[in-house]
Amino acid sequence: MPPFKLHTPSSLDEAFEIVNILREQNLDYDWVAGGTDLIPNYKWHINTKSNVISLSKIEELHKISKNHIGAMARLYDISQSSEIHPLIAKSASLVASVMIRRSATLGGNICLDTRCFWFNQSEEWRESIDYCHKCDCGTGADCRVIPNQNTLCVATYQADMAPVLMCLGTTIHMSSPEGNRSVPMKDFFKLDGITKNILLEDELVTHITLPDDVFEWEGDYQKLTQRDSWDFPEAGVAVLWKKGIKGPSELRVATTGIESIPRFHSEESQKIIETWSGSDSIEELAESIRKSVKPVLNTWFQPSYRRKMVKVLSRRASKGLLEI
Amino acid sequence: MSNDDEMVGYRQQPGKLPFSRPGSGGKNQFSQLRDIQLIPESQGGKKLQPRGSHRHDELISGTSIGRPTALVDSKWKVTGKANYGDDIRLNNELIGKIVRSPHHYARVLSIDISKAVELEGVIAIATGADAQNSFGVLPVTKDEHAMAIEKVRHKGDLVACVAAIDESTALEAVRLIEVEYEVLDSIHDMRKGLDDSKYPIHDRGQYHIGESNVQKRVFQEFGNISEMVPNSIANHKSNWLFAGVNHGFTEPHAVVANWDPSGRLTLYTPQQVPHYVHRALADVLEIPMHQINVYRTFVGGGFGGKSDPFPHEMCAAILARKSGRPVRITFDREEVFWVNRGRHPSRIEMDIHADSHGRLCGVQTDALIDGGAFASFGHVTTYYNGVLHTAPYELGSFHYTGARVWTNKPASGAMRGHGAVNSRCAVEVGLDDIAEQLSVDPITFRLANLLPPYSATITGFRITSIGMRECLERVKIASDWDNKFRQLPLGHGIGIGCGFFISGSGLPIHWDPNKFPHATVHLKIDMDGGVTIHTGAADIGQGSDTVVAQSVAEVLGLPLDMIRVRSRETDTSPVDLGSYSSRVTFMNANAAISAAMEIRKDLLKAASKITDTEMNKLVIGDRRIFDKKDPAVGVSYLEALHKAQEDRGALTSSGSYRTPPMGRAHKGAAAGLAPAYSFSAYVAEVKVDMETGQTKVLEVWAAHDCGKALNPLSVKGQIIGSCHMGLGQVLSEEMKYGRGGELLNPDLLDYKIPSIHEMPKVNPIIVESNDLEGPFGAKEAGEGPLLPILPAVCNAVYDASGIRVNELPITGDRLYKEIEKKCKKLKINTPLNLPNPSLEHSDLQSILEIRASKHSERDMQRIMAEEKTPYHNGALFGMDPEIPGDEQDSKWEIRVVPDEEYLSNPRLAGSAWRHIERRKREG
Repeated sequence: MPPFKLHTPSSLDEAFEIVNILREQNLDYDWVAGGTDLIPNYKWHINTKSNVISLSKIEELHKISKNHIGAMARLYDISQSSEIHPLIAKSASLVASVMIRRSATLGGNICLDTRCFWFNQSEEWRESIDYCHKCDCGTGADCRVIPNQNTLCVATYQADMAPVLMCLGTTIHMSSPEGNRSVPMKDFFKLDGITKNILLEDELVTHITLPDDVFEWEGDYQKLTQRDSWDFPEAGVAVLWKKGIKGPSELRVATTGIESIPRFHSEESQKIIETWSGSDSIEELAESIRKSVKPVLNTWFQPSYRRKMVKVLSRRASKGLLEI
Repeated sequence: MSNDDEMVGYRQQPGKLPFSRPGSGGKNQFSQLRDIQLIPESQGGKKLQPRGSHRHDELISGTSIGRPTALVDSKWKVTGKANYGDDIRLNNELIGKIVRSPHHYARVLSIDISKAVELEGVIAIATGADAQNSFGVLPVTKDEHAMAIEKVRHKGDLVACVAAIDESTALEAVRLIEVEYEVLDSIHDMRKGLDDSKYPIHDRGQYHIGESNVQKRVFQEFGNISEMVPNSIANHKSNWLFAGVNHGFTEPHAVVANWDPSGRLTLYTPQQVPHYVHRALADVLEIPMHQINVYRTFVGGGFGGKSDPFPHEMCAAILARKSGRPVRITFDREEVFWVNRGRHPSRIEMDIHADSHGRLCGVQTDALIDGGAFASFGHVTTYYNGVLHTAPYELGSFHYTGARVWTNKPASGAMRGHGAVNSRCAVEVGLDDIAEQLSVDPITFRLANLLPPYSATITGFRITSIGMRECLERVKIASDWDNKFRQLPLGHGIGIGCGFFISGSGLPIHWDPNKFPHATVHLKIDMDGGVTIHTGAADIGQGSDTVVAQSVAEVLGLPLDMIRVRSRETDTSPVDLGSYSSRVTFMNANAAISAAMEIRKDLLKAASKITDTEMNKLVIGDRRIFDKKDPAVGVSYLEALHKAQEDRGALTSSGSYRTPPMGRAHKGAAAGLAPAYSFSAYVAEVKVDMETGQTKVLEVWAAHDCGKALNPLSVKGQIIGSCHMGLGQVLSEEMKYGRGGELLNPDLLDYKIPSIHEMPKVNPIIVESNDLEGPFGAKEAGEGPLLPILPAVCNAVYDASGIRVNELPITGDRLYKEIEKKCKKLKINTPLNLPNPSLEHSDLQSILEIRASKHSERDMQRIMAEEKTPYHNGALFGMDPEIPGDEQDSKWEIRVVPDEEYLSNPRLAGSAWRHIERRKREG
């Protein structure tokens, strides 16, 4: 692994002080939370920086309560928490393996770097294909998944926490030396596979908050993987609803693991709620979600299969709708 | 130390000996006398022997054999005290790093090391020019070099290497070495390897096959080929595609080389076959073998992936010689995939015929295997893909064409179940299909077509003990087969698969005229009473040190803690051919028993003198030698030992094992010959999610005939471990290549080895067929147990879903594609409404049941008969069992070269025979 200097501030103020000093010296840095995504990438010499600022000693980022989860909350702790919404706990319990969950964090999962067969490789490997757009090492290399277009990165966002959080109406809170800001979770992500989200330089996610009606929502999160452990989701679908008199009164759907950012499918779910008719509607919903996603060939399963499975996962995640 | 009062014939109570003797162990001299539960009936004990007695019965002392035994090195491993390759730290060491090719195939035009040499901390740099001699594990195909001489042949091929004071300096130096390449057109599809090429990946001179990339080709025909198709009433045809898989062992390759002041090289390496590395080092470094000591460290898993002499081992030795300092090279996981030697990606066309009597009148196999850039064990693999499925069934005819081609991929090689796994899967799935076509139960079908014990296969292999029938019968009962097969709901299924594997290759790799033994064991016992075993057998985690210790302990009636095994260094251990082809238990334990028998004779002689009892009346128990009829008459082991040492000192002995002459004389007859064969039958129960195509294995019943379980604990471990490894290949593991031929998943996140969640409950069932030639009756249990799990799962997937797979691994996307196709074909809108396979027995079922029970009686008679009459494959088809088919009927022929007619319309791999070898061309 390339050497880097590790900083361990114990408060956000201290962290931003370090940032200011680094910036003055014209030095690059990365934030690190649990390190389960960043460190493997560093080992592969992917977009490495000379300084790394760890957030693990910042007490305020660790908090977990029913309406507030800190960015540094460990996925394992979230999965075991009885205070928070059970679907958040379920999503967390499905991430990677128990050992990863012990160090991986909520913030790290939300901000997970996008993944691609042509990118998550060692330096020699990437050199042998003359690098790629996402980590071009100054070569101006093309995308290896969809060649001859030098503008878009199609690496896949393969994190589990986002869909359920989006559906629950989560607000994400960010902080930087310039101040704090918040946006709804569903507006946090931004194409393409390199941009990933709206975080600005020197900005970091501090925590998320959940609206008061969070416990009125129920539903399910379903994911597709080769193995029941370790693997990143090849597709993931969250379907959440509020109970109405005949069927759901509100319906929200979000997907992950298929495109460069997780998607909130408001149009598709809105259409279904207006014309709700039981199992046929579920089938219609599942089909419309399938149609709306466009996976590419850069992860373990074939894209056509992942797309078809989105339909199956949507259907399975909607199963509870029939019990209303 | 002797005292005449004690030493001459007397009666005494155990435990009343003087304590002053060296090695007496104070008050704790005896644990117990003979355990008669473990002594065979034939020796007056209580151990049942349903298959008769064994030549080693009289050596059984009831101390060790057959008891579940913790491996002798297990405490080293669980306490972290075991030193693996990368744990070796020598003073003043340098770190070696390798410059690897970024191209699939290229000519190396120049290597500029000038910048790297100037980097501070770089001590030595080597390139192909430093070691011109080629090497390879098989003497017939030495096609590897330490580093590229002229061409690089796959991405990751070695070009140069650097030794520096630390890792980061070495890596920096690697970056500073500038290599100029001329990129050549590379080959990635194995089918292209069959064609002529402008620049074949290797040049074999006059032996080159056409101008193609065919490295080895095989043609074999046995039996009544002409009547195969006319007699056929059921035919299975399937074209298989098997992805390449890697061993996925825990410990990456690592090596340390050190030249000592007397000019000798010591190479520390986690190797399965130290002897071949020893030879290869001598060739490459151009020094005599006696100047090299190969030190085998603890091995963190081998499975065939550490059984070649490797270029990086040469590099370490060359760098250490150049720098005058120890050099350590440790691979990262990606480099493990570059060196690979995993199972060959294969295209296998399987064609099986059965006749109206429910007999297998023909098996036709065509196997094209993708060897990657080097030959490795490929010569043998090409044969094994054919010859290792000529048993356990009696065949009317067998036709095999095989070819191995070079492609610009990391080299394939030997991996657990070497060469037999893929074609076995294709055969067993074929049998399941044939049974379905005949409307009979697939287990009954197999039971009615088994070769009897002490028979010869259609290719002339000498089969000794067979526990196949018992394996099948026991898994059938254990799995509740009759209540489940074809009766479970859609998406839930059960399937059977069998296996057959060599227990030690009959032909040593380095064939020589000197009749060297395959295995040799030396023993030394001094006055302390402990036994030192010197053996070259490489313990790679499979427990070979334990087996050899157990064998000696058993014969000498000693507890295991009195045995110490020295198996690490070629300086001190006699030559052993290494841990491959499941040969170690069979051959090395036989050698150990011979060595221990000599010592045993010395001890009995001494005890006989002391007690004045005839030698043949004495038996050995735990640290005591006594009269069989009157156990009170006897001496302690130490007393006998000290008496035997009079005027002589330490007792030493040497034992060895060499396979008997076997097999027939046709070209390739030696491939697949073994002194014994193991058999296995597994039943797997699976759930298939019909909507996603994802398969989950729920439970496995795994019966393996290992002859005799010397250590039931490790036999069970091997069965369970094999299941895990085989499940990986059948469900998730594959080396994926991108459209440009890049290996996409050289890491353990994307190379998907099953996790604990995917591991089903495995019920190991040990079947003991008591092999007459095996040590105490034992055969192999390390590789054979892997074979049946693949077809068992494939057949269970069919029972669950009605889909006959022909591509591995059966990932969700592959199976779902087939499910979709079937839905479309049957015009069914959801997979949940697909028809579930069912079975209604035909008349043939009862005919086969009767035949199976007759054969069962026949087999038992043959096992118990004093004189074994010959039985050649073909008797089931009305031939005289006493004579090989080809000697009694002109229709039963043996051919090893194709004729014009075949070449006019060859199968895929068979088309390799269209090329003419250079030496056979005109002009």
